Amino acid sequence: MLLVVTYSRTARQTLRNVCSAHGDTVVRRFGRAALFEATEFGAFLALRMRERHGEDVQVERTEPLNEYRDTPESVREAARAYEEEAHDNTPYAKFASGTDHPDPDSMRAESI
Amino acid sequence: MNVGDERVAVDLPDADPAAVVDAVEGEDEVPWSGGRIDLPEPGPLHDRLNPVEPGLSVSVRSALAAAARSRGLEAPQDDEIRRVEAELSGVDPEPVDAERARRRAAEAGDREAELSERVAELRGRVRAREAAGLDAGDARERLSAAAGDLAETRTERLAAEQLLDRTRERARCQRDLRERRLRLEDRLGNLEREARAHLAAVLWDEFRDAVAAVPGDGRAGANPGSFEGDPVTAALAVFRVGDPEVPAVLACGRFSDAETAAEVLDAPVIRVEG
Repeated sequence: MLLVVTYSRTARQTLRNVCSAHGDTVVRRFGRAALFEATEFGAFLALRMRERHGEDVQVERTEPLNEYRDTPESVREAARAYEEEAHDNTPYAKFASGTDHPDPDSMRAESI
Repeated sequence: MNVGDERVAVDLPDADPAAVVDAVEGEDEVPWSGGRIDLPEPGPLHDRLNPVEPGLSVSVRSALAAAARSRGLEAPQDDEIRRVEAELSGVDPEPVDAERARRRAAEAGDREAELSERVAELRGRVRAREAAGLDAGDARERLSAAAGDLAETRTERLAAEQLLDRTRERARCQRDLRERRLRLEDRLGNLEREARAHLAAVLWDEFRDAVAAVPGDGRAGANPGSFEGDPVTAALAVFRVGDPEVPAVLACGRFSDAETAAEVLDAPVIRVEG
């Protein structure tokens, strides 16, 4: 999908107008951002906004995350264990130390 | 606005209201029978209400706030408004030309794909000629030239992608500034709205009296902002309450002459109704 984020009042207003006029292409709206369908028409709407508002409109292409394809098991396992086993206010770094779970810095250093 | 001690009250029965408004806004002097007079900068009252003619659309609260400003009234939000404005003027995101970087990266990618295809094709041709026992010298030479081009293009593409990454990084920093600017603008907008509501409330009783004093239908309720009736009546009442910098331009057919209008509105008037 296309993530469209606005950074000015006028661009935000244009996004509102686009969302109400093209509900079928707008998948979801969040305040001053929205997800458009990844179609030529979605791109057309996003690009027209960028023509009008320049860099006050950010357009990113998003894709769904398949954790089984995109992340190593150690990360998935760490997320599961942290959620299930840690107390609510235990920071992850503390939870992971002395275990086989990856520490946060090493995960930060790895792109997926 | 006064000329000497005399308040401006001018009838221009044949003038076009829009043309008079243009003249009032212009740096030129306003021509009318009897002379030409330099006008001060039009203020918010003028911007909101002139020309006063049927079909006018008025936000009573905003217009009344403008009337309050024309009288020099201040709102409790003014200090904070000035502070936010000052902060806002210091937030100035730099433009980042990400479009050029995107285009360069995309074009370099296209060229590389094209050349890569050409190299594969030439390689196939060399193999085919060799397998058929034909002279492959020519084909090999072309393959080697294309492979050289491909290597060069790949270097270009990598450079273009690195540039794009750096540009995106810079754009991301600038977006933090843009986001901050947007938050300040929203804050300013809220403060200004609160200030307008305050000012309208301060003048509300005067406005209700003024609605009763000017000709035409209309009734102001007890709560600031509640007005029912012809918007022209509201506009006239706002002029009466305010202290306008430039004349009210009246094309509403409510007054018999400019003198009367100026008297009722307690304001300078140009009347353009025949």
